[in-house]
Amino acid sequence: MPASERICFILFVIFCLVFPWITKGSFAQAVMIQFLIFCLYGLGWNLIGGYGGQVALGQAKNVGMSAYTVAVLMVWWDIPFWVSTPLGVIVATIESFILGYFLFRLRGHYFAIATIAVSLVWQQLFINWNLIGGARGVELPLRETPNFLYMQFDSPVYYHYFAFLLVLAAILYMNWFRKSKLGYQLRMINSSEDMAESLGISIHWVKVKAYCITGVFAGLGGAFYTVYYNYIDPFSVMHLELSVMIALMTMIGGAGSMWGPIIGAMILIPLDRYLGAWLGGIGIVGVDFMIYSMMVMIISAYEPKGIWGIIEKARGKR
Amino acid sequence: MELLLPATISGLLMGMIFGLVALGLAIIFGVMNIVNFAHGEFLMVGMYTAFLTATILSVDPLLTLPVAAIIGLLLGLASYYLLVRYLLKGPMLAQLLGTFGLMIFLRYLAMSIFGPDYKNLEHGLLIGKTINWGPVVLSYSRLGTAAISLLAFGIIYWLMNYTRLGAALKATALDVEAASYMGINTERMRGFAWALGGATVGIAGALLTNFYYVFPTVGLLFVMIAFTTVALGGFGSIKGAFIAGLIIGLIIDVGATYVGPHHKLALIYLTYFLVVVLRPQGLFGW
Amino acid sequence: MGAKKKINRRDFLKATGGALVGGAALSTGLRMARAMPAEVKIGVIYPLSGPVGYAGKMSRDAVDLCVDYVNNKWPKLPIPIGTWEGISGLKGAKIKLIHADHRGEPDRGADLATKLIMDEKVVGICGCYHSSVTKTVSTVCEKHKIPMINPESTSPELTKRGYQWFFRCTPHDRIFLRDFFEFMELLKQGKVSGVGAIPKSEIDTIGACTENTEWGAATRDVIKEFAKEYGYKIVSDVSYPHESPDLTAEVRRLLAPKPKVLMFASYLSDAILLTKTMMESKAKANIFWSQDVGFYQPKYMETFGANTEGILNRTVFSPKLLAVKPVAAHINMEFKKRTGVDFMGTTARAFTGMQAWAYVLNEAGSTDPEAIRDTANRIEIPGKDLIVPWKGIKFEDVGGETNQNTWSSGLIVQYQKKEPEIIYPLDVATAKFTYPWPGWK
Repeated sequence: MPASERICFILFVIFCLVFPWITKGSFAQAVMIQFLIFCLYGLGWNLIGGYGGQVALGQAKNVGMSAYTVAVLMVWWDIPFWVSTPLGVIVATIESFILGYFLFRLRGHYFAIATIAVSLVWQQLFINWNLIGGARGVELPLRETPNFLYMQFDSPVYYHYFAFLLVLAAILYMNWFRKSKLGYQLRMINSSEDMAESLGISIHWVKVKAYCITGVFAGLGGAFYTVYYNYIDPFSVMHLELSVMIALMTMIGGAGSMWGPIIGAMILIPLDRYLGAWLGGIGIVGVDFMIYSMMVMIISAYEPKGIWGIIEKARGKR
Repeated sequence: MELLLPATISGLLMGMIFGLVALGLAIIFGVMNIVNFAHGEFLMVGMYTAFLTATILSVDPLLTLPVAAIIGLLLGLASYYLLVRYLLKGPMLAQLLGTFGLMIFLRYLAMSIFGPDYKNLEHGLLIGKTINWGPVVLSYSRLGTAAISLLAFGIIYWLMNYTRLGAALKATALDVEAASYMGINTERMRGFAWALGGATVGIAGALLTNFYYVFPTVGLLFVMIAFTTVALGGFGSIKGAFIAGLIIGLIIDVGATYVGPHHKLALIYLTYFLVVVLRPQGLFGW
Repeated sequence: MGAKKKINRRDFLKATGGALVGGAALSTGLRMARAMPAEVKIGVIYPLSGPVGYAGKMSRDAVDLCVDYVNNKWPKLPIPIGTWEGISGLKGAKIKLIHADHRGEPDRGADLATKLIMDEKVVGICGCYHSSVTKTVSTVCEKHKIPMINPESTSPELTKRGYQWFFRCTPHDRIFLRDFFEFMELLKQGKVSGVGAIPKSEIDTIGACTENTEWGAATRDVIKEFAKEYGYKIVSDVSYPHESPDLTAEVRRLLAPKPKVLMFASYLSDAILLTKTMMESKAKANIFWSQDVGFYQPKYMETFGANTEGILNRTVFSPKLLAVKPVAAHINMEFKKRTGVDFMGTTARAFTGMQAWAYVLNEAGSTDPEAIRDTANRIEIPGKDLIVPWKGIKFEDVGGETNQNTWSSGLIVQYQKKEPEIIYPLDVATAKFTYPWPGWK
């Protein structure tokens, strides 16, 4: 990876390793874990949305389906995390595969809105699916801690390191992916579909495969969320705001760049949590949303390549 | 079976309003291929405008229509010249998320100014009265708003098909370059499309205030319905928006009565999905 | 001529002595302050924004008022806390509330709980209105071993989890619904004043209309269960998305089989829309009952005025209680002065929940979490000290539940001439029951 990225990587790793010792389980730690979860979502989405340029706005369904699979398996049959998570990820990926197969016939805005519609349909179905809780959600029972079998811990530090490992794996994977054949094919499709076709690339399949991989990341995030908060319902793991937040964050940071999602998460998540906490206590409503929606509008209008794009421009000028 | 008639009628009435809400979206997309996610929020602004005007000036809600139309028009213009114009130069992600940002911004601006409370109008020509027509109970507000919506459609249709302005707009939509060669100020046409879109949805909002309550997140509910309507009707088609609106209204009301109201939203989204997959250009799309 | 002040021995001794005594007093005071906190912090997590922000904000006002009573002397208040100036069991430590807004999101609520516990070092949590947020917040509290008192979430599951650090004040949905079905039994037996024995055939079919988030869904399940147990037939069962733009189809489906008993669980906006739609459809039934919340908000009454005649609500509080409970009258007057509205079910419980906190801290005499928990486990707060018409507050483990306030109870009120008259329990009834529900013409 290029020097600038290597520096980011090293700094990031050190930061994450040291963090729990500085914050010791406080709110900062909770925000950090939320940040790591969104890094995972963002790195995954960056694949299809950033490198691939396909604006899929329905990631929440993958998060939710995996979360539900894990939750239901754990609650009904006591299946440990390490078995239920792969199953959850598989469920999310199968859904992506089937859906991608149909949806990638569409382009542009139609595709984007279709992904929103699908995500909303799934959410509605889960809300009404009383067998697995419906609107009442699924709550995981508390077990003896620390519990590595079911990933239940009293201290957030365990969760932090686990999330960090997931993000680390995601970064290393993405680093490999963008240099892989699939990665090149995907980026070619993004820059010119005609050119890609003339090179004999099967556009449809590349997109579907990329979408499935994105689903894997979302699924992992969903599984983690389930055991971290111990409770899920269709409003907290399958909501449209989540899908949009993931896309928004990646775009602000810089879609199509390796560190874009992470930068985006680094800005939006603390902003969301801290500003929300501060304003909520005072009772002022909505200012935090107004701030980050303005950020989105400005970046969309002036620098669609996001912050990483700005950094690159600055470096280019040197 | 006795449920079918009232369901059909109420579905059609509601459908005319959906059509009007969707109309603005159809025009904007038709002219410049950008999806306005903030469309629902434009509706919300129209509703608050009507509410405030009716309350502060103590006038009948129907008289607030011109005010809502003007505010909507200004909002559309502002959105175009301050934001959308720049978005059009960027990649699609930027376009989508740009208007999405506008949506969030307007929604929470309303939230911080008006608070999350639900507000509604109590007094007005159309409010609260009903007439009986056999087994069907019709409320004045729905009838009246449907009628006005029909009128609005008629006016827009006339504008688009029988005036030079309309022709210029259509030309810009079909082929921007050719239109500019013909001397049409395409930039101004785009601005006009947004202004027109904003005005129509402002009127729709003012009409809705007669029987629906106003709150900051009301836009979210209507925007998906609007998208579905436009997709079904065909992005860019006015006739399509009208007919699709009726169909969607029927699907929601009749479908909900028989399939179950909790599946109502799922029906809408499913319709959208089927339409874009099976016939992306909709019924009458350009 | 004024004598020049000479520093003589006596003065010197006086001065030094004074300084010594003062210094001793000061240092003892400091030591005492360190040993006993000057203030004790409690975290309060409510939805202060978003669609139910109105309820969250009013609940916040209610708990703030309670803390005002605890921290200051209110001589006219006929209960112990009137004499307190801070928590007497903690040597006058004043309660300081730290508010947080969870916006209806369970994960945000959980993270805010972490903040309150780890950063602000609260001794405990109060909240959260939404049962879903209460679930995650209570899990955080359980993991950190910090006590949480929940004033108003009614999902029955909350006390079935075996949590040791979670205490719930309010009756839950099963209790409320059982009240209603029991009431209908009494109606059939002719024991309710204002109406003779009602034949079973007049109230044997139920139309249920519930919103489909956690609370409505829970209510619906319990309605189904009890309908079966008590022998009622559910002829229409409509579950609708909260915040729908249009509910005509729902209402049509609800009313089509002409159910004789209508049962609702709705938030305010839906309640208003449902009512408007039902008025347009000229709905009719013999009994109209709702689960508090939407149909029992001041704004609902404001909107529909005399059209609310005959509607039944389950709740825990009615302004009618003011006549029989001087405590309630006094505190309600103050609440109304500050917020412009009377106490209703939600706010009365919020106040009571914070009151429970004050009593528990007082009796514990310590801010140690274990001490607080142990106190909560054994405390018995008498009903006469509360504004709600309960026997009192006693958290018990009974019937598979843990730390549920078994001394709590519900009321059924009926809007009569825009006032919520108490109809049930029979011994606290303030008016005769009017039957049937007049409907809308």
